[in-house]
Amino acid sequence: MSDWGFLRQVFRGSRVWTGSAYLLLALTWAAGIALLALSGWFITASALAGAGLLLGLELFTPSAGIRAAALLRTLARYGERVIGHEAVLRVLASLRARSFASISQLPIASQRQLRSGDLQHRLTADIDTLDGVPLRITGPVVAASLAVLAATALAYWLAPWPAAVLLLATAILTLAASLLAARLGQARGRALVERRSRQRVALLDYFGGLADLIAYGRADSQRMLLDDLDREQARGVLLQERVALLADQAVQGLVATTTLTMLALALHWHAAGAIDAPVAVLLTLMTLGLNEALSTLPGAFWRTGESLQAAARLRSLGVDPGGRPARATTGRDRTEEGLLPDAPTLHAHDLGIGFAGEPPLLTGLDFSLQPGQPLVIHGRSGLGKSTLLETLAGERPPLDGTVTLAGREVGAWSEPRRYRWIGYLPQETLLLDTSVAGNLRLGRPELTDQALWTALETVDLAQALQREGAGLDYLVGEMGRRLSGGQARRLALAWLILRDTPIILLDEPFSGLDGATEQRVLARLAPWFATRRAVIVTHAPERLPAEWPRHALQPATITAGRRGAMRHHQT
Amino acid sequence: MLAGTIAWIVHQAVFEPGTASAWPWLGLAFLAVITRHGLQALRDWAGQQLAFRVRGDLRERMVATAARIGPVHLAHRGHSGAWASRYQEQVDALGGYYARYLPALGLALAVPLVLLAAAFTQDWVAALLLLFSAPLIPVFMALIGMGSQQIHEAQQDRQNRLAGHFLDRVRNLDLLRRSLALDAATDEVAEAAQGYRRLSMRVLRVAFLSSAVMEFFSAVAIGLVAIYVGFALLGFLDFGPAGQMTLFSGLFVLLLAPEYFQPLRQFAQSYHDRASAVAAAEALAPLLREPPLPQSEPEPLPAGAAPTLLRLERVSLHYDPDGPPALDDLTLSVAPGEDIAIVGPSGSGKSTLLALCAGFIRPSAGSLALAEPARHFAWMGQRAHLFHGNLRDNLLLGAPPETGDRELIAALGAAGLRVDDPTLPKGLDTPIGEGNRGLSGGQAQRVALARALLSDSRLWLLDEPTSALDPETENDLLSRVLEHARQRGVTILLATHHAAVYGRMRRVVRLDQGRLREDGDV
Repeated sequence: MSDWGFLRQVFRGSRVWTGSAYLLLALTWAAGIALLALSGWFITASALAGAGLLLGLELFTPSAGIRAAALLRTLARYGERVIGHEAVLRVLASLRARSFASISQLPIASQRQLRSGDLQHRLTADIDTLDGVPLRITGPVVAASLAVLAATALAYWLAPWPAAVLLLATAILTLAASLLAARLGQARGRALVERRSRQRVALLDYFGGLADLIAYGRADSQRMLLDDLDREQARGVLLQERVALLADQAVQGLVATTTLTMLALALHWHAAGAIDAPVAVLLTLMTLGLNEALSTLPGAFWRTGESLQAAARLRSLGVDPGGRPARATTGRDRTEEGLLPDAPTLHAHDLGIGFAGEPPLLTGLDFSLQPGQPLVIHGRSGLGKSTLLETLAGERPPLDGTVTLAGREVGAWSEPRRYRWIGYLPQETLLLDTSVAGNLRLGRPELTDQALWTALETVDLAQALQREGAGLDYLVGEMGRRLSGGQARRLALAWLILRDTPIILLDEPFSGLDGATEQRVLARLAPWFATRRAVIVTHAPERLPAEWPRHALQPATITAGRRGAMRHHQT
Repeated sequence: MLAGTIAWIVHQAVFEPGTASAWPWLGLAFLAVITRHGLQALRDWAGQQLAFRVRGDLRERMVATAARIGPVHLAHRGHSGAWASRYQEQVDALGGYYARYLPALGLALAVPLVLLAAAFTQDWVAALLLLFSAPLIPVFMALIGMGSQQIHEAQQDRQNRLAGHFLDRVRNLDLLRRSLALDAATDEVAEAAQGYRRLSMRVLRVAFLSSAVMEFFSAVAIGLVAIYVGFALLGFLDFGPAGQMTLFSGLFVLLLAPEYFQPLRQFAQSYHDRASAVAAAEALAPLLREPPLPQSEPEPLPAGAAPTLLRLERVSLHYDPDGPPALDDLTLSVAPGEDIAIVGPSGSGKSTLLALCAGFIRPSAGSLALAEPARHFAWMGQRAHLFHGNLRDNLLLGAPPETGDRELIAALGAAGLRVDDPTLPKGLDTPIGEGNRGLSGGQAQRVALARALLSDSRLWLLDEPTSALDPETENDLLSRVLEHARQRGVTILLATHHAAVYGRMRRVVRLDQGRLREDGDV
C-alpha cells in the first residue's frame, strides 16, 4: 500500500460525509460564479432596455436568481465547512485511537525501540497534518472540476466554442501546475515533517534533561541548537507558505488575464453579432468567478508531501487505516477456557537467559516457586537479574531451557491470561501522570476507595498523603515527579498489591525506602506473601526475612563452560 | 481599476461601437492585473515575514526562560510533553495574528474607504448603500465572536494536555500491559481525542458562522446594489443621480461592490486567527513569567582565609505558600573538599536541598551564598536523564570535547559499567533512546556517574546515586568516587538513606520534615 493508498483508506469510512461536503463546495463556487455572471447580465440588459435597445426584459426571474445565488452561496459554504470538518476531524480522532492501539500491540521488543517523543508526535501533529488531503486537495479538486465543468457547459451553450475551450484550458493549466507543484514540493514537505519530529525529540531532551544540561554548562549550547533547529524549520515553513502565496496570486493573475481575453473575444463576437451584449458581460464575469475555485489549488498541492510523510510515518507503525481499533483482551484464546488453576505454578528448567545473538547472561537455572516461600535472588549488579524477571514474566524469550506457567510454556499463554496470574514490579518505577487513585485503579476500575486506602496503609503511604492534605486525588506528576523517590516506589508497590495476582515478581521492591520504612512495609506484607508464589530480586538480601530461600547468582563464565552457575544455599 | 477598465470597455463597445479601439484599455487592464496581484503577494509576504520573526523570538524566549526558572519550576508548570507542544503548536497559533490579522485590519480600514470614494464619484446612492451596509458587519461579528476566545483557550489547553497524555501513556505502555489496562487506555485515548475534536469543532463553528454572516451581508448588499443599478438603468428611478446612470457607472459600481466587501470578509476570517493568537498568548505569558519566589541571586563568597564553598543561612522554602515548608530555617556551611551525606526518611526534603544548592530553586527566606567553583557542579538526579544519541554523546556531556574514547571507557569502567557489557552491543556507539530505553535504571545511574567523573566539576550533587546497585558494587563505586573526590578536592553532597552509604562519608547531616540536624549535635 502506498502513502496515498493509506490516506484513501483512512478517509474511506467517511465517504458519504466528505462527498456531501465536496458537492456543497462545488455548489458554493457555482453559486458564486452564477452570482457574478447573472448580475453582469442583468445590469447590461437593464441598461440596454433603459436605452430602449432591448424590449420585453423580464425583471423578476434574474433578480430572484441573483438573490437565490447569494443565499445559496452562503448556506452551501457554511454547510460545506461544518460537514467537511466534522467528518474529517471524526476520522482523525478515531485514527488517533487506532494508532495508539496499534502501538500498544506491537511486539514488546519493537515497542521499546521506538522513542516516545517521536511516537507522541505521530499521534498528535502527524495525524493533524492528514486533514490537508480531504480539506485542501481532494475536496477543492472535485468541487473546482464540477464548477468549471458547469461554467464550461454554460459557455458552450451561450457562445462560440472558443469560450468553453478558454475556460477549460485555464482550469487544466491550473491543475497541471498543481500536479507539477505536488511533484516539486513533495520532498520538501516530507523533510519538513521529519524535521519537526526531530525537533520534538530535541525539545523533550531539553525540557526533560534541563537539570543535567545546566549542571554541565550545556544549557546554552543546547539552547542554541534548539534555536538553530527552529530557525531551519521555520524557514522551511515560511518557504511552504510563500510558495502557496505566490501560486495563489499567480493563479488569480492567470484568471484575471483569462477574463480579459474572454472580454476581448466576447466583444469581438458581439461586434460580429454572434452574441448579444448581456451575454458578453456574463461570459466575462463568469470567468472572473473561477478565481475562488482555482486559486488555492497549486499551493495546497505543493504541500502534499507533508500529508504523505505523516501517512508514511503512521503506516510504518502498522496502523490499520480503516475499521475499529483492535482489542487486546477480547480475542480470548479458546484453549485457555475450561479448567484453569487459581494458584498456578511457575518452574524454571535449565533456563538460560540473555539477549538474542549475545552470550548468555545466566545459564542452568532450575527452580520451582512455592507459596509462602518467596525466592530471594541476589547477586552483583549487571548479572542479569532484571532480564531474568522479564524472562519469567514471559516478556523475553529464554535463550535456553524453559519457563513453565501452569504446565505450559509461559510465552504460550495469551497476554491477558499471563498478567492475570503474574504481577511484575520492574526496577524502574512506572507511574501514570494522573491521580493516586488513577494509578491504583489501573486495570481494576472496580476497586473501592477503602481498598485503595488499605493498600496505601500497607505500604506506609496513607499517612504521608493525609499529612499533605492530599487524598486519593493527589496528582503524582510526570513519572511520579511530584512524589519523592521512595513514595513513588511505595505507590507502585501498592499498585502491585491491588493487582492481586497469585505469582509476583519483584525487582528491588524497596529501593529508595529508608530502613525503618522498609521493615514496617515488610512486616505488613507478611500475610500477603504467605499466600503467594514470589521471586524477589535484590542486592540487599540481608534485609529480607532469613527464613526465605535464597539464590546467589554467579555470572555465566564463557570459559568455564555453561551450566550450574547457580549456587543454592538455604539459610 | 480593473473594474473601471472592464466597465469602460464594455460601455464603449455596447454604446459607441467603432469609436475607439478596446486594445489600449485591455492593455491598461492587464497592467492593473499585474500590479494588483504583485502588490497582494508583497503584502502577504511581509505579513509572513513578520510572523516568522515573532514566532522565532518567542520560541527563543521560551527556551531561555526554561533555563532561567530551572527544572524544578519547569516541572511545576507542566509535563515536558506539554512544553514541547506549547513550543511547537501554541507558538504557531500566534502566527496568524501577524501574518493575517494585522494586514487584514489595515486593509479593512483603508480599502473600503478608497473604494467608497471611487463609488461616490459615480453614484452617491449606490455608495451610500455600501456605506450603510458595512458597519452592520462588525456588529454581528462581535456578537458571534464574543466568547470565542475562551473556546480557543479551552481548545489549546486541551491540545497541550492531549499531547502530554499521549506521551505519558506511550512511555508507560509496559505498565499498562502489565495492568491489563491497554484497552482501557485505548478507550481513554479515544475519549480524549474525541473531546479534543468536539472542542475544535466548537472553535471552527464560531469561525464559520462569523464568516457566513459576513458573506450573507455582503451578498445582500451586492444584491441591493445590483438591483438598484438595474432599476436605475431601466429608468424606473428618477431621484438623485439615478437618472444619469450609464452602463459604465453601473457596471463599475457593481464590480466594486465585491471588492469593497472582500477586505471586510478577510478581516472576519482573520478575526478567528486573532482569537486563537490571543488565547495562545494568554496561555504562554504566565509560563514566561519569573517564578513567584523572591529572586535573590545567590551571593558570591569571597575566597578568604577559611574558605567556604557554599553557605545556607536560615533558609526556608515553600513550594506552596500555604502548605508546610519543604525546608525550614536551615543553616549549613560547606567547606571545599568535604563529603557530606544528607540523610532522612523519604519525603524529608533531601532532593529539595540538593536542588537549592544547584540553584534550581531559590529560598523563600534566608540566603544562599556560593563561591565561584560551586557554580560548576556535577548533577545526578534520582532518575538519570540520558539524552537521545549514543553512549559516547552522553558521556561527553560534561567532559572536555577532546576527551578520547579511552578515557570515556575508563570512566565508564570506574562507574562500574563495562563497555563490552552485552546490553551495550555497539560499545560507545550504542544508541540510547529518550526515556533511557535499552539501559536499566542502574546502568543509567552508572552512565550518569561516569559523566560526573569525566567532568572537572568541583562540587558534586548526587541524589541516591547507588540506589539501584548491590552492596558490593555500591561499595566499590563509593570507594572510587571518594578516592577521585579526595584526589581532586571535589566536594560531595549526597542524599541517601542507606547506612552503608552514609557510613562512609565524613560528615552526615539529617533532615526531618525540612529541619536540619547535624550528627554529633545531639
